[in-house]
Amino acid sequence: MRVATRSIYETVRFNLDVITERLSKANKVVSSGKRITTLSDDPVGLAQALNIKSSLSNIEQLERNINVGKSWLAASENALTHVQNLISDAKAMSVQMANVTEGAAERASAAQAAQNMLEEIVSLANTEINGRYIFAGSKTDGAPFTLEDDNSVIYNGNNEPFTVKIGRTSTVAVGSDGESVFGSSGELDDIFNTFKELKAALQNNDVSGIQGKINQLDDHFNHIATKISDIGSKMNRLEIKEEILQNLDITNTERLSKIEDADITDAIMKLKAMETAYQAALVSASRVLQLSVVDYL
Amino acid sequence: MSGLGLVFSIARDALAAQQNGIDVTAHNVANVDTPGYCRQRAVHEAKEPAPYGGLMFGRGVDTAQVLRISDQFIENRLMRQNSNMLSYKEMENYMQVLEGVFSEDSETSVSSLMADFWNLWHDVANNPSGTSERIALYEHSISVAQQFKSLSRDFGDIETDLTQAVSSGINRINEITAEIADVNAEVVRSESGAIANDMRDKRNALVSELAGYIDVKTFEQSNGSLSIITARGCVLVQGNESYDLDLGGDNGDRVQWSGSGGSAVDITNYINTGKLGGWLDMRDEIAAKYKSDLDALARELIWTVNQQHSLGVGLEAFSSVKGSYAVSDSSKELGSEDCGLEYYDKLSNGTFNLWVYDSGGNVVNGVPTSITIDADTGGTTLTSLAAQIDAIDDISASVTSDGKLRIDADSGYTFAFSDDTSNVLAAIGINTFFTGVGAGTIGLSDVITSDKNYISAAQIHSDGSIAAGDNKNALAIADLQYKLVDIAQWTCDRRNGNTQGCIRTTIEDYYHALVGSMGITSASVSRGRSFNEGMVNKLRELRDRISAVSLDEEMTNLIKYQHAYAAAAKLITASDEMLETLLETK
Repeated sequence: MRVATRSIYETVRFNLDVITERLSKANKVVSSGKRITTLSDDPVGLAQALNIKSSLSNIEQLERNINVGKSWLAASENALTHVQNLISDAKAMSVQMANVTEGAAERASAAQAAQNMLEEIVSLANTEINGRYIFAGSKTDGAPFTLEDDNSVIYNGNNEPFTVKIGRTSTVAVGSDGESVFGSSGELDDIFNTFKELKAALQNNDVSGIQGKINQLDDHFNHIATKISDIGSKMNRLEIKEEILQNLDITNTERLSKIEDADITDAIMKLKAMETAYQAALVSASRVLQLSVVDYL
Repeated sequence: MSGLGLVFSIARDALAAQQNGIDVTAHNVANVDTPGYCRQRAVHEAKEPAPYGGLMFGRGVDTAQVLRISDQFIENRLMRQNSNMLSYKEMENYMQVLEGVFSEDSETSVSSLMADFWNLWHDVANNPSGTSERIALYEHSISVAQQFKSLSRDFGDIETDLTQAVSSGINRINEITAEIADVNAEVVRSESGAIANDMRDKRNALVSELAGYIDVKTFEQSNGSLSIITARGCVLVQGNESYDLDLGGDNGDRVQWSGSGGSAVDITNYINTGKLGGWLDMRDEIAAKYKSDLDALARELIWTVNQQHSLGVGLEAFSSVKGSYAVSDSSKELGSEDCGLEYYDKLSNGTFNLWVYDSGGNVVNGVPTSITIDADTGGTTLTSLAAQIDAIDDISASVTSDGKLRIDADSGYTFAFSDDTSNVLAAIGINTFFTGVGAGTIGLSDVITSDKNYISAAQIHSDGSIAAGDNKNALAIADLQYKLVDIAQWTCDRRNGNTQGCIRTTIEDYYHALVGSMGITSASVSRGRSFNEGMVNKLRELRDRISAVSLDEEMTNLIKYQHAYAAAAKLITASDEMLETLLETK
């Protein structure tokens, strides 16, 4: 078979081109550690990787949302526990003051204590986190409860508690509609009103009035306890969700790494193989290109 | 004639013949690296014998012709394959540019910008009255818009580059065809007797180069001239005439052929191979498809976000607002294409509420005004909508000279919108987030640019109050990340026209699929290039095996002719000695 001189050179050139291209590709994989360096390397894998990256970014955001939610819930729990303690203190005080052995002077000073408690509860009900009132429904920019001169308390918030998103389809109310926490519900009187009346009864030295409040205080105690346990279960839900998200984060990161990252051992073996092939091609080229009949004539 | 005279004559012819052989060999050696060169052979023939004394005596050698060794069939195959290869190669180059533009390595890729865009809505929802969250969302949305614009601009640049490439390709084609016409004339003139080998080689090389640019069909005429026909049967070269191509059409980007008649024929969509085929495929099919897809994506993103945004309310109500989308005719129904509204097709029959607040922030009359939109024929026009709104106390509305709706509240009053079931507010661009209609025009609403408090994170409460901590609308917008929407998807085909399909997917999946599809196209173009390159190499080897010069062979021939020359010279010496011997015998 006849081989043209040009063919020999062309073949050498073409083969070296092909091998250097592969060598450069193998080198890129090893040096970047990525299996996919351009869109065309693995388009299907790339689209999957993009989906996973977006999921990861969403998961991180949801984790951030959960943290916001947790700080709201923690603040609520803290405030309500204090309220509960105040109610418990008020009850103890009421029991003591309902005792006939106590005199008007003691009751008058207890009335002052009840007033302080009332103010304390209003202030707890106006708890804010980063400047947002947590018991105001969604009217988070203004104090939800105002104490009037006549000791009555007005609710300025609304009935839509502040919510955060903790999953693609689930939201959790982490703020509270203050009215449902502190206001009257069913047979239960407004908590502020109870304190207002307790104070009035103490001030007026009205023993039966004081006694009447003890049961109400119990009811309020239980009502707040329910609310605290609500918050606890929400907190629990957020923590479970957070754990799920963290697991998802790990699995997705692993999946992403499987798609995107190069198997370094494999990549280095490939690079070595390419190197050997390249050297072999160079040796063979240098032998063939030197041969010519001219040297023997 | 016979005797010593004959020997002299034979030896002389032999010397000349070997000399010819060496000449041809030298020519071959000199052209060992000339592309398209076909090796030549001096064909020697024994001369007719002469009868003498009842015997037939040979009269030596003659150089009958210088033969050009080539196989036109393989040359043509090679030319076609090379033309295909170059088409793929050009596409591959531009695909690599596109891949770079859509690179997913960086933080500025649309996919990561989009993911952050939705996340920032979550952040706003987590703190709806927070200024820093609103500013972060706004700034990031600007980046999203700019990235879309920059991609759109890159497509525009690629398109311009390709048209420029086509233009310079056409210039070269015109040069080549003119040259081929000249060579044709030369071949016809010089081929009265022998074949004009080198002229034909030159012409072959020119035709190969031409085929590298554009589809070519060749026919050889009986007089040796070559006719060349390109796409759509248009004649490029006939005899010693050549016909030019040029760029024309409305945008100056169509390839046109002008015959002797003078009327231009648009051959753009018929060019399949060669660099022009690759450039045009890239420009009118691949880049055109992805550009349209990107526009469709941006269009849907703008709409989806705007539609939800228009249902909400910012931290404060408006005192004055102007739509961002214009109608071309305010007396045409908003639900019909005639009105010139970009998103006219999104309108449906429905209502929206307009709330008016006095300076104390209280709802005027205690209830909102419900505005009814009729999207059908004979229904609401922009003018009638303006009139409906204008009729509300303390509010005035009008259609501006540029076809947009403008609403103003009397001094001290403000207004806001809620519960739009007709989509009209989003369609005319009132209380919206984005402006623009595609990747090239996407931007942020002026209202939001001047005051971030108008980012609608909340929705108006049923009693008309606007709560600072209400994040319903921000959450609804964040949810759009996973909302299925109908997005147009294009198939661009130069021969059969572009068709628009539609797929139902999320905005981000659409983008991921778009990038994936681009990768697949790029990989298949690369495969096509590599396959064709392999084929071209095989065919070129085959062609070279037949036609190209082998130095070893030429050197061997050189020795052969050298020896034959020496032998012929020896003949002269021998017969000279014989003649001398004869002359001495007296």
